[in-house]
Amino acid sequence: MYRLFLSWRYLLTRRTNWIGVGGIFVATGALIMILSIMAGFLESSRAMLRGPLSDLSITPYQDGDPDDGSSLTREPGPLLDLVVEDERVESAVPRLVWYGQAAGNARRTQRMMVGASGDLSAIQLIGVETRTPSLLAEAAAAPLLAALGIPLEPTAGRAPDGSARDAFAATDLFAALERDSLVGMRVANPLLPFARPRTYDPDGRPAAPVVLGEQLMNGLGLVRGDEFEIVTMVPTPDGKVASANRRFVVAGTFRTGAHALDLEVIYMARSELEDFLSGHLRYSEILVQTTDYDAHGQALKADLEDRFARAGLIAAGLDREGRIVPYAGQVRTWEDFRQSLIGAIQNERVLMAVMLSLILVVSGFTVFSILTMMVTEKRRDIGILAAVGATPRGIMSTFLLIGFWNAFLGTLFGTIAGILGATYINDIEIWLSNLIGVQIFDRQVYYFDEIPSDVEPMTVAWIAGGAFASTLLFSAIPAWRAARVDPLVALRNQ
Amino acid sequence: MSATTDTSTTPAAASGERDLILKARGITKSFPIGDRTLEVLHGVDIELERGESVALIGTSGAGKSTLLHVLGLLDSPTSGTVELDGVDAWAMSKPRRAAFRNIEVGFVFQFYHLLPELDAVENVLMPSMIRFGRGAYRKRRKELKARARELLVGFGLEQRLDHRPEQLSGGERQRVALARALFHDPPLLIADEPTGNLDETTGEHVLQLLFSEQKRRGLSLLLVTHDDRLADRCDRTLFMRDGQIVDRPLQ
Repeated sequence: MYRLFLSWRYLLTRRTNWIGVGGIFVATGALIMILSIMAGFLESSRAMLRGPLSDLSITPYQDGDPDDGSSLTREPGPLLDLVVEDERVESAVPRLVWYGQAAGNARRTQRMMVGASGDLSAIQLIGVETRTPSLLAEAAAAPLLAALGIPLEPTAGRAPDGSARDAFAATDLFAALERDSLVGMRVANPLLPFARPRTYDPDGRPAAPVVLGEQLMNGLGLVRGDEFEIVTMVPTPDGKVASANRRFVVAGTFRTGAHALDLEVIYMARSELEDFLSGHLRYSEILVQTTDYDAHGQALKADLEDRFARAGLIAAGLDREGRIVPYAGQVRTWEDFRQSLIGAIQNERVLMAVMLSLILVVSGFTVFSILTMMVTEKRRDIGILAAVGATPRGIMSTFLLIGFWNAFLGTLFGTIAGILGATYINDIEIWLSNLIGVQIFDRQVYYFDEIPSDVEPMTVAWIAGGAFASTLLFSAIPAWRAARVDPLVALRNQ
Repeated sequence: MSATTDTSTTPAAASGERDLILKARGITKSFPIGDRTLEVLHGVDIELERGESVALIGTSGAGKSTLLHVLGLLDSPTSGTVELDGVDAWAMSKPRRAAFRNIEVGFVFQFYHLLPELDAVENVLMPSMIRFGRGAYRKRRKELKARARELLVGFGLEQRLDHRPEQLSGGERQRVALARALFHDPPLLIADEPTGNLDETTGEHVLQLLFSEQKRRGLSLLLVTHDDRLADRCDRTLFMRDGQIVDRPLQ
């Protein structure tokens, strides 16, 4: 009984204890907050890092001779059939990627060319598939719903739970279109991004509509409804290269937030791009969205490679035992594209956790020194307790209990504060920024509009458990020393 | 401080059937000092009857305090036995001896030795808290508390029940310490110069309480003192010199 009573009494009457509790409080709280924000940053960076990459990308070699039997198919159809058969596949869509250069409105670009796309860097032309059944159905229903006054949520390609339902949703364009544009030139209907704008008044044959990055459009000095020219080079069947140029019309813009994408990508319907390239390529890759990438992305990749190789759809060779081995690099996960960066991020996370755990050690030391001080200060009390019948063990547990209270209170309040802090970090940041008049989190610098934070229960449990255990461990030494105080010496000393 | 040397009552002669609370035989105690050993007690025999009060007088460094610590089970003898209530206390295990000390011996020190963070009632209750487990203490907390307050009120401390030691005068502190020592009626009370730090009037007040309680409760008292007049109030007096009990003090 006296252990609990005395430890609590000492805790309350010796103010230095609150320094110990405060130390653990700050350490646990800060650790939880920092690691949660780090986790949030890393998670968001991972998303940024991934950028427009889809879960899996299938890019078979297509350089065989179509007339000779060794050639691979130039149609996406057979591959797609095999892909969608797999139940781990959410959706799959082919797309065509090519490069070209765009010339803008000469008059308006004069002053703008210099800074923006004046360097005539290559622009990625991406032909995406929009003629998917559910998308067409929703798009067809849109005018009717609008006429009836029912608001149409642009849910095309998305199941109610937010997962991709339609192949189109697997494309980066769809995600990009959902973001609010800054200059207000979104496509009229995200379900039908390549509809000709109403303001477009063609003279002669109407040009094919394209959607381009906001910054690119500005750089080219264009507005919605303007025509502009795209130039590209296409290999001809006889082995030469021919240039091709065609006029397109701006149907709208998209914004991803990633500079490279917003400045260098032009989307159009796959059929249009194929036509532009005179049928040189039908598709360049098949993008695959899986039901759960983390669970079976890698397994799916291996299975698909194997299946394609058996069906003779991708380039493959035979190994020594005569088994078919697909050449690498034809089926890739998004991580394959970003391998080194992902490794760096994971490494950084571990490093951060290890370094920050030192805070815990420091707070443990605080408790250690406080208790050591208290044992020295309380030598006489220890002697008195021994004289009235306390065992060394009882004295040890009394001091251990003081450490326990320090650990318990510090960890408890620290954990609560850490979780709250991590959850409401944006409000705190805004309040602090206003208070001291300095922008703490510059939203221009990052792609995210708010400080990301991800409170992981396991991390919190580890930190709280670690703080508690290390404090208790640190208080064990002074407690053990308290038990070894000679009551006689303590009583004799005045 | 030096011991007064005056004649006093002779030690009672051992005779017949006696009810002994304390029986120590051949107590020696030596401390290592460097590579030599310093022997403080050279074979002390001492007996205390139940209900008897004995004064222990001796010069400084005669080994009184060491003897007191050995008899009070705070310090182990180098050799010899201490029988408390008929049990060889130094043969017990450490935790059992601690519990035994809690029940058998009450201490009153010269410097009171109260716990500074606890108020008067809590200080008196401390031995009971140590004695009982959490459940057992909870069950009788009310009763124990009431008894502690009653005892302190009886000692004239009704205004001081929830005061901390630092808020009490020396005499008040010693009365609280006495209440703590007496709280659960130990058969043996050991007092080490209980009035050594008090002025005459307050000291006298404490002594009156000490002796009246000792008589009333019928407990044995072993009192270390320098004061011959105080020793005279005890049933008998033992003289101690150079680590031995002697018949008469040297002039």
